[in-house]
Amino acid sequence: MEKLVEMKRITKQFPGVVALKDINLDVYPGEVHVLMGENGAGKSTLMKILSGIYSPTEGEIYIEDRQYKHLTPEISQEHGISIIYQELSVIDELSIMENLFVGRLPEKRVMGIPVINKKYMMEKAREIMRLVGLNRSPMTMVEGLPISEKQLVEIAKALVWNTKVLIMDEPTSSLTLDETQNLFEIIRNLKKQKVGIVYISHKLDEIKQIGDRITVLKDGAHVATKMLCDVSGKEEIITMMVGRELKDKYHSTCCENTDHEEVLFKVENVSRADGKVKNVSFELRKNEVLGFAGLVGSGRTELMNVIFGAEKMNCGKVYLEGRELKIKNTYDAVKKGLAYLTESRRETGFFDNFEIWKNIAMEESLRTSKWSGAYGLIDENAEKLEAQKHKDQLNIKATSIHQNITELSGGNQQKVIVGKWLAADAKIMIFDEPTRGIDVGAKSEIYKIMRELVEQGKGVMMVSSELPELLAVCDRIVVFNEGEIRAILEGKDATEELIMHAAT
Amino acid sequence: MSNTKQTELIGQKKNFNYWWERIGTLLIFFLLFIVIAIISPAESNFLSLNNIINILYQSADKIVIGLGVFFAILIGGIDLSIGSVMALTGIWMGMMMNAGVPVFAAILAGSLLGGALLGAINGALVNLTRVHAFIITLGTQWIFRGVVMIISNARSISGFPQEFKQVVNFRIGNLLPTAVVIALALAAILWFVTTKMKVGRNIYAFGGNPEAAWFSGININLHRLIVFVISGICSGIGGLIITAKTGAAEPLAGSSYETFAIAAAVIGGTSFFGGKGKVWSVVVGGLIIGLINNGLNMMRVDTFYQQVVMGILIIAAVTMDTLFLRKKKS
Repeated sequence: MEKLVEMKRITKQFPGVVALKDINLDVYPGEVHVLMGENGAGKSTLMKILSGIYSPTEGEIYIEDRQYKHLTPEISQEHGISIIYQELSVIDELSIMENLFVGRLPEKRVMGIPVINKKYMMEKAREIMRLVGLNRSPMTMVEGLPISEKQLVEIAKALVWNTKVLIMDEPTSSLTLDETQNLFEIIRNLKKQKVGIVYISHKLDEIKQIGDRITVLKDGAHVATKMLCDVSGKEEIITMMVGRELKDKYHSTCCENTDHEEVLFKVENVSRADGKVKNVSFELRKNEVLGFAGLVGSGRTELMNVIFGAEKMNCGKVYLEGRELKIKNTYDAVKKGLAYLTESRRETGFFDNFEIWKNIAMEESLRTSKWSGAYGLIDENAEKLEAQKHKDQLNIKATSIHQNITELSGGNQQKVIVGKWLAADAKIMIFDEPTRGIDVGAKSEIYKIMRELVEQGKGVMMVSSELPELLAVCDRIVVFNEGEIRAILEGKDATEELIMHAAT
Repeated sequence: MSNTKQTELIGQKKNFNYWWERIGTLLIFFLLFIVIAIISPAESNFLSLNNIINILYQSADKIVIGLGVFFAILIGGIDLSIGSVMALTGIWMGMMMNAGVPVFAAILAGSLLGGALLGAINGALVNLTRVHAFIITLGTQWIFRGVVMIISNARSISGFPQEFKQVVNFRIGNLLPTAVVIALALAAILWFVTTKMKVGRNIYAFGGNPEAAWFSGININLHRLIVFVISGICSGIGGLIITAKTGAAEPLAGSSYETFAIAAAVIGGTSFFGGKGKVWSVVVGGLIIGLINNGLNMMRVDTFYQQVVMGILIIAAVTMDTLFLRKKKS
């Protein structure tokens, strides 16, 4: 049988990072080719190359006997390659029908003037909607649909244009079991019509159900491509995916004998009204870095947001050193000695209109303020000296503390944010994806800082989607799945396999 | 650490941008001043002390309300209700004085507290509805003006005690009108608030990145409320100045004054993207408006042409801000 698409020896370099090296991937008509790998393994990058968003640094792509050095979104579309992203891209304000044709509305001419061909749209939309099992009028607004049906609209959208290769990025992450079975039925239908499907998923159980072949990526490298019937079971896939280790370990060495039992911070039965966090309890002990593992969207960030008072806690209690904390908003959290390094530096981490020193001074200024932050005088010289101290200690590379923070590299921006919480002498520090998008050197510096903090008696929690990092730094690891704690593992016993088992 | 070492660490490289941000508006003011001085006819006495004092006097209300809207723009908002607040606080003061309330009590209750109350209404509405301040203050602009018409029967109020006019018209040393002193004193207080007080720093942070401000522990709603209260008080003081200048509280007073206020703020370099701007630059922005009005009058330029000049100036000011920002981002 002839291949629909073949990607050969694809390498993609970003400044400072090799995202993909020497990857081969092909798709036959009527097969489901499963693509697996941890967060950051390179799956999305590979798919973005296939859909023409990125150009590969090296390698070729063959589609229907034509050879390409790189694709563009237009070429990719012309060849019938469609992608369904994990985050839905349907437009709420439009009807189902309009969503299906958005950007490429069919035309007809009335007295020479081009107008939208509604009749054709209706007919075509009905046909496609029947195919994916969406029993609605094509005129229904997307806004009111449940997530699962929005997902169907998304799939229908991909099918309007004579799709030959359909890429699905974690299509079941927001579907119930029934809806998942329904989706599989659609996929089987598509297979009969000789559509080739690239199926990205973390859910090992469903892969066995629906997949024909599997390709596993790890750290941007190709691990294996196998027929799924030749794969013995879950264990074999997990073993292929994991097994990467950070060379350096950052576990405490000096604290082996110290008392690990003293509880610094405790969270009891915390839930959110939206169900993204369900009945979560854990303890953070003295002298430990507590890790939080889980897939993207498993509820870890959502938990940290409610602990810090940034979003509403439905029920639950939080204790610091045995005393219950009443945190109504983020100001209370800062006052009580909590610190939160959010996962997106640029959006929620720093102030791009401030110099380094003002960014560092922010938290101490708030902590020592009165009237919810409104009252208090600024001592600029003291703030500058404090900022200078942290710039030196954290080895922040900048010309001076007067440099605007936007001029720094990602790693140094992250260190400025660490600095602002250190300046406020926070007792409990939450690091959410602290090493995302920063270079290797800065990463290991951040790990060392976390280690030093716990040795000074502070409590450190780290949310991370990089397993090797969690294993290298954390004393214990809390594993999240769908808003609940599935396991709490001792760092020295934990392995990537154990974590992945609990997280999927 | 020795003192020299400290200053070395704290010292800052002073490049073009550094100076431009600080004195750029002042430079424009002096350039305009020189240009007008050169091209204005000699008999107009543009450069006479009297006329220069007059420019200050005419600019006082623009400076005051410009400072108010400056705060609203700083947090990425706007206050369009300024003109209506000026009229309503003016009417309140007038009614109180005519009811026998002492002048200073009427100013305190009508202008300052009244302005604060109206500002608090704006702030609370934005907080409660989450609708952009543009829409909320557009609405309250109509509401407040309507209330003015209702309580005044659309008639102006006058016949105030003589000392009321003196509040802004008294000339210190037979020279400097108190209106100018009020405007500069307010600017000094607000300069202190923005640079020396934590609330000021928080407002800049809020304007620079509201999300990050929230995740850093800044109480967003409280600070938004404070900003609109400040804007309301400034409008109240603006109302005091225009009412006391003429000695009558007019129901249509302050109509479209919000455009003067916004013009003063943006000519003073306040960024519509939020988080950037300086109190003293807004003061100079207000002076530039007064200068242009005065100078063009001196040159006997038709008021209609003056409006054209003002419009061009506003567009030029914001364009420069946008261009600078674009350059920085890229």
